[in-house]
Amino acid sequence: MLTADELGVVLFTVKVAALGTALILPLGVAVALGLARYQGAGKSALETVLSLPLVLPPTAVGLFLLEALARRSPLGSSLAAHGIEVLFTGKAVILATSVMSFPLLVRSARTAFEEVDPRLVGLARTLGCGPLAAFFRVTLPLAWRGVLAGTVLAFSRALGEFGATIMIAGNIPGRTQTLALAIFQYNQTGRDERALVLAGATVALAFATLWTTEWITRRRARRSQA
Amino acid sequence: MIELALELPLSRFTLRVETRLGEGVTAVMGPSGSGKTSLLEALAGLRRKARGRILADGQVLLDTERGTCCPPEARRIGYVPQDAGLFPHLTALGNVRFGARGEPGLVEGAVDTLEIGGLKDRYPASLSGGEKQRVALARALATRPRLLLLDEPLAALDVGLRERILPYLLRIRDEWRVPCLYVTHNVGEALALAGQLLLLREGQVEAQGAPLALLSSPGLSREAEAGIENLLPARVLSHDVEAGVTRVRVEEGPEVSVALSPGRPVGSAVTVALRAEDVLVSVEPVRGLSARNVYEARIASQERTGVDVTLRCTLRDGGVLLARITPGAATALGLAPDRAVWLAVKSHSIQML
Repeated sequence: MLTADELGVVLFTVKVAALGTALILPLGVAVALGLARYQGAGKSALETVLSLPLVLPPTAVGLFLLEALARRSPLGSSLAAHGIEVLFTGKAVILATSVMSFPLLVRSARTAFEEVDPRLVGLARTLGCGPLAAFFRVTLPLAWRGVLAGTVLAFSRALGEFGATIMIAGNIPGRTQTLALAIFQYNQTGRDERALVLAGATVALAFATLWTTEWITRRRARRSQA
Repeated sequence: MIELALELPLSRFTLRVETRLGEGVTAVMGPSGSGKTSLLEALAGLRRKARGRILADGQVLLDTERGTCCPPEARRIGYVPQDAGLFPHLTALGNVRFGARGEPGLVEGAVDTLEIGGLKDRYPASLSGGEKQRVALARALATRPRLLLLDEPLAALDVGLRERILPYLLRIRDEWRVPCLYVTHNVGEALALAGQLLLLREGQVEAQGAPLALLSSPGLSREAEAGIENLLPARVLSHDVEAGVTRVRVEEGPEVSVALSPGRPVGSAVTVALRAEDVLVSVEPVRGLSARNVYEARIASQERTGVDVTLRCTLRDGGVLLARITPGAATALGLAPDRAVWLAVKSHSIQML
């Protein structure tokens, strides 16, 4: 069974992953929709840049973030001037997981939005919907599966994030330590049996996430039979 | 009353249409790619590059010179695309309700007009082509549009189904009194529905006017891919099963026998359609010929159209028929204006629209 500290780690991991996913959801959906509809110049360049975190080593991404947030950088110093400390806090964990899972959300949602016939959106407009109403009444209901799949992928990626997190948040028990970091630490200190227990916890989490998603998708599919 | 003066750059040409649309149905015809669908989309507000002016009942929907451009949701223009464009995630009723105005009874009225009460809970995936079109028409009506744009609503349906949808379109025209722009390739639909016809070619209005007159003017109708020069309004007189013909009386013209069409009730209005090249011309009274329709006539005019000669013949019983023959035949028969001729037409060469 999990000790109180280990349970704290599990809860903390779920919390930062959920918060991070919630934070990137609106922006990710907006970016995905923009990419799906935009056909102009620089589209593929933009897509490539947005997908970089998928192919770069997470530690490299973490290093870039570290540089950007360091006190000597313009961003880091202005944050510090407002009394906002990010590096090596819970905020850094959320930032690291968000950056790493953002492209997964965008990719999946973009594909789903691309499959929505733009003429249906035009028709919704002629039927009295403004752009926002057309999005919520037509585009999103037709693309929600892809958006949900992207959200789940992003959340799962956030649960297991390691490289970028350790670069900008460190591995501070009780403050920034997530499941992935704790497993690493147990292993490094020769406590493999505890590492295995935590690994089991990650399996349970992943299973619960995927199963819930599947359940929602099936239930909705039965209702609309489309 | 809709007044429009539109310009829309397209890939091959610029669409330029200036016209007024009154009550009733205006049919839009023209070869594929002549800008018909683009015209509808520009009117609906779905083409951002559209320039010019659109005035609907005194309200400015578009005036690019003054920087006014009503978004589609503020135009109250109903649009029904060729494939119906139903929202797949909503039931038939959900689709009809989608854009309904608060006005009570509007959704019910649209559902009744299109007789889709039995389809309410079905999803578009399970509807047939004709059912989809009816739901899409009801959806557009339920917004109480000031103008209805129909893009070949019957094109995707087979012939039998077309005949069943047409009455619904007539009901929309007569009961809802919505001005309507109706894109079609079908001469019969244009004649049955429209009081006005707009012929588009390469984005320009080639001709505009009464459908019958435009469609039967030689030269023009070819361009509209109609290709039927003789279009005569008529009424069904009787069905003769024994002889295998249906007899119709052309308005202020002769009686015509066409292939038996028991589907057309006696007394109903039809249009008799006949290609000019299907009219045989004789300079002597015709005897012993299988053709059921022989008319004594006089050549009113004779003109060279392309490689052929088109004769305009005034029938003794009233009415005019156009006949197209080769210049060789015209010379051999010694045809000239004012010459008496006999025109023969097989029942099977005649279509009823």
